[in-house]
Amino acid sequence: MTDEPAALVQGTLEMLVLRTLAIEPMHGWGLAHRILSMSGEVFLVTQGSLYPALVRMRRRGWITTAWRTTENNRRARYYELTAAGRRQLEVERALWQRVSTAINSVMSPAWATGIP
Amino acid sequence: MSILTDLLARARSLLFRNREERELDDELKFHLDMEAEHRQRLGTSASEAQRQSRIELGGIEPVKELVRDASGTRWLDELRQDFGYTLRTLNRSRGFAAVTILTLAIGIGGTTAVFSAVDAVLLQPLPYQEPGQLVRVYQSWTGNPPFKGFVTPGHYVAIREQVGAFDGAAAISTYSAVGADIGSGADVHRIKLLPTSYNYFDVVRVRPTLGTGFAVDDEHGPDIEDNMDAAAVVVLSHDTWEQEFRGDPGAIGRTLQMNGQPYLVAGVMPKGYTDPIAGSIDAWIPVNLTRAHASDGPTNHYLTVIARLKSGVPIQRAQEELNRVVTRFGEQFPSAKESLMRLYPLKEDIVGGSSRALEIMLGGVGLVLLLVCVNIANLLLVRASERSREFALRSALGAERFRMVRQLLIESLTLALAGDLAGLIVARIGMAAIVALGAGSIPRLAKLTLEPQLLVFSLVIATISALIFGLAPALKAARTQPADVLRDQSRSSTGGMAQIRLREWLVISQVALAFVLLVGAGLLLASFRQIQSIDLGIKPDNVLAFELNLPTARYDSTARGRLYERLATQLSALPGVKAAGGISKLPATGGYNEWGLAPRSGPLAGDKRGQVGAENRIVSGRYFAAVGIPTLSGRVFDERDVAGGPDHVVINQSLANAIFPGIDPLGQTLNTGGRNSEVIGVVANVAIDNEGSQSHYVYHAHTQFAGDRNWALAQVVSTTGNNAAVQNEVREALRTLDPQLVMFRPTTLDQAIGQGAAQRLFTLRILVTFAVVALALSALGLFGVLSYGVRLRSREFGIRMALGAENGSILSMVLKEGMLVTAIGMVVGLVGAVALARVMASLVFHVSPLDPRVLIGTVVFMGMVAAVAAYLPAYRATRVDVRDVLQG
Repeated sequence: MTDEPAALVQGTLEMLVLRTLAIEPMHGWGLAHRILSMSGEVFLVTQGSLYPALVRMRRRGWITTAWRTTENNRRARYYELTAAGRRQLEVERALWQRVSTAINSVMSPAWATGIP
Repeated sequence: MSILTDLLARARSLLFRNREERELDDELKFHLDMEAEHRQRLGTSASEAQRQSRIELGGIEPVKELVRDASGTRWLDELRQDFGYTLRTLNRSRGFAAVTILTLAIGIGGTTAVFSAVDAVLLQPLPYQEPGQLVRVYQSWTGNPPFKGFVTPGHYVAIREQVGAFDGAAAISTYSAVGADIGSGADVHRIKLLPTSYNYFDVVRVRPTLGTGFAVDDEHGPDIEDNMDAAAVVVLSHDTWEQEFRGDPGAIGRTLQMNGQPYLVAGVMPKGYTDPIAGSIDAWIPVNLTRAHASDGPTNHYLTVIARLKSGVPIQRAQEELNRVVTRFGEQFPSAKESLMRLYPLKEDIVGGSSRALEIMLGGVGLVLLLVCVNIANLLLVRASERSREFALRSALGAERFRMVRQLLIESLTLALAGDLAGLIVARIGMAAIVALGAGSIPRLAKLTLEPQLLVFSLVIATISALIFGLAPALKAARTQPADVLRDQSRSSTGGMAQIRLREWLVISQVALAFVLLVGAGLLLASFRQIQSIDLGIKPDNVLAFELNLPTARYDSTARGRLYERLATQLSALPGVKAAGGISKLPATGGYNEWGLAPRSGPLAGDKRGQVGAENRIVSGRYFAAVGIPTLSGRVFDERDVAGGPDHVVINQSLANAIFPGIDPLGQTLNTGGRNSEVIGVVANVAIDNEGSQSHYVYHAHTQFAGDRNWALAQVVSTTGNNAAVQNEVREALRTLDPQLVMFRPTTLDQAIGQGAAQRLFTLRILVTFAVVALALSALGLFGVLSYGVRLRSREFGIRMALGAENGSILSMVLKEGMLVTAIGMVVGLVGAVALARVMASLVFHVSPLDPRVLIGTVVFMGMVAAVAAYLPAYRATRVDVRDVLQG
């Protein structure tokens, strides 16, 4: 594993955004930054993927937006989970768990020894 | 829910586009700032931090583009751009847009209007319950089975009682459908009355909304024209009820004075009810069927009969049973031995004669629609080829093919929609015109409405044709290699010529279609002239006509006889009046009272060969002089022919020849209408209809025949010219005689006769309109293709001229090309006209469907129009500037 930030696993950005926003409402940069730090500096989310994703999620009704003032007294657009967003987070979380368990078991080093 | 949210979000980003953009800008800038600050905190210099964050995060514009994509409004944006571009390009070529839209409008509007008419008249079921069960019953005899005659009361009662396949048979009195005067004093007016059998309402299955209608006993009550002791009954139309009783439900059981007699109101019909045959009616009274059992019950034909078949009974089975009943009736009554009766589906019977006219209209409009499609194809093809360079250039500059095709489609669609809209307007105008032209002569046309399905049909057809013909060039343009086109500029190429070929074929088909329509219109025109040149045997110019009914209550037969004569005398004395008189049925307006007749003297007396049918006419005053029928021998009626004196008749030439061959008819005796009469005069023949059909006529003096029934004689007044002034004087004269009399339906004899020709005139006008439109479209097509050819070949013309070709030779070259295309089209059209000759045969009158004058006339006319259409481009070819062309 390198120290360079990695590209996201395909299709997981929205799940990560949902998860991160579940902590508290935040603005776009805060979101990207939080994902980076929560992933141990692995996932760098670019503007080019973050903002289109936010627009799509808003269209689906998972998040709402509001302009608020930051601690530093600047105006920023904040994103907040809706009830539908929370439900979606649970759906994606469950799905992710099944997928990652399955992938983990396929990738398990135990297979190399022939012991399942 | 989520779809709704999605749509709302998209709508929001669309509606608040500017705000969204601004907010996105702010948001992205905030992001950059935050990133830069963050890096600064980590120890990078301010400018370096900004630079790094920018590199890392990518440019702002691509991000914005991605966000716009995600918000799902990009295609709408582009659509808006394309649409704006379309409007700008169409605005640049206004001529093209106008012609295309106009062509579409004609196609859509014409089709919709004519389709609506055909639908209203031919396709819509009759507005009665289970209309398929309704049949019309006609009577004929073994000598002429296809004849469609009226039914005798004897036969009617027999079939009503005995034919089990009928769920009721209703009779309508044919001859007394004239009317009744209601009200009194200055307020007196005439209404349309329909005497029907008691079960009429059950047969049409429309019951009075108020009251109970008629009972079977009412059929034996007094006649409308007879003096009555007891009150008779009447069912009112909704309108009459509102006018006479102000819509009072208590009107039932009250009386209404008609012809001075009290009638008990027995019912009110639903609003808008019209009789299937007689149309709109003001009141119904029971027909008197007492006559059914009289001696002339089986021979006196005066009933119109409609029957309703029992559910599930085919008309054929009902016909078989009817045949058995008629045969049995003939065995019972020897005078009815030769009777036949025949059933026809009611709708077919009503629509019958006009269906051919409408079918031809439909065919005509079909051809026009085809022409429209061809024209649209032509126009769009020219346009596409004109713009191939533009598309090549755009494609070379990197425009997406998909986008270019979409752009062309949007253009076609815009044109189609504008054409659809204009078509709607044309349809509305067209329908109003059709109703105005044909309402009197085509049944059911008054109910014409714009049918939504029909509208959708023609909209779809036109739109699809625009799309197809728009799409084909679009796809072609998209496939073209830009380099080829750009290299090929202004030089004639094989591709260009191939297009010309295709377009020439389109023009040929247009010319052919227009030719067929022109031949049709020409044939109708020729027919119409034939009809107008027919000698009907009368002089209908400047003859006023009106109906005059004398209420039986106040006028007995003697008084009626006296009044009609006095009126004629007084009117004849008016200044501006040449002669005045009355007749039971206006000349050349159809048959009426055709009775059996036999000579009682001469070589055919007692001979079966002498037995003929003749039209009986009851005349008063100086009828023959008033309509211009010359007396050939003897005299016509005058004061000498009095009631109670020996019965006198005047016969026409053809009757004289038929029953008194080789002898002087004057002084001979004949028997008709149940009496022997002496022939006192012979007059010239008069046509029975406006097509000049001939018939035997026997005329009776009203003074001698007034007792037979109340003849509501139509009055004719021949004037020296000023009809309007005379009409007022006549009205005044009538008022001095009896202020309660009504001058009913005043018209001119010309008009009264012309009514029958109205249907042919209607078809003629429509077809002429179609033909003119078709001709205009094909001329436009020819003009278009030649102009385009000239433009493509301008270089060639330039070279020719540079090499010394005369203007004249270039002109004739282009003209020849146009005339060749026209000639081929006309040959194809001729083949079409021959193929359609049988269809036209039924509509033309005394003209062959392949009349050489019509065909030659069409060829000449079309050739002239084509020459004009070809001349302009040819002239333009000679104006080519040699230097311009050769330098290009």
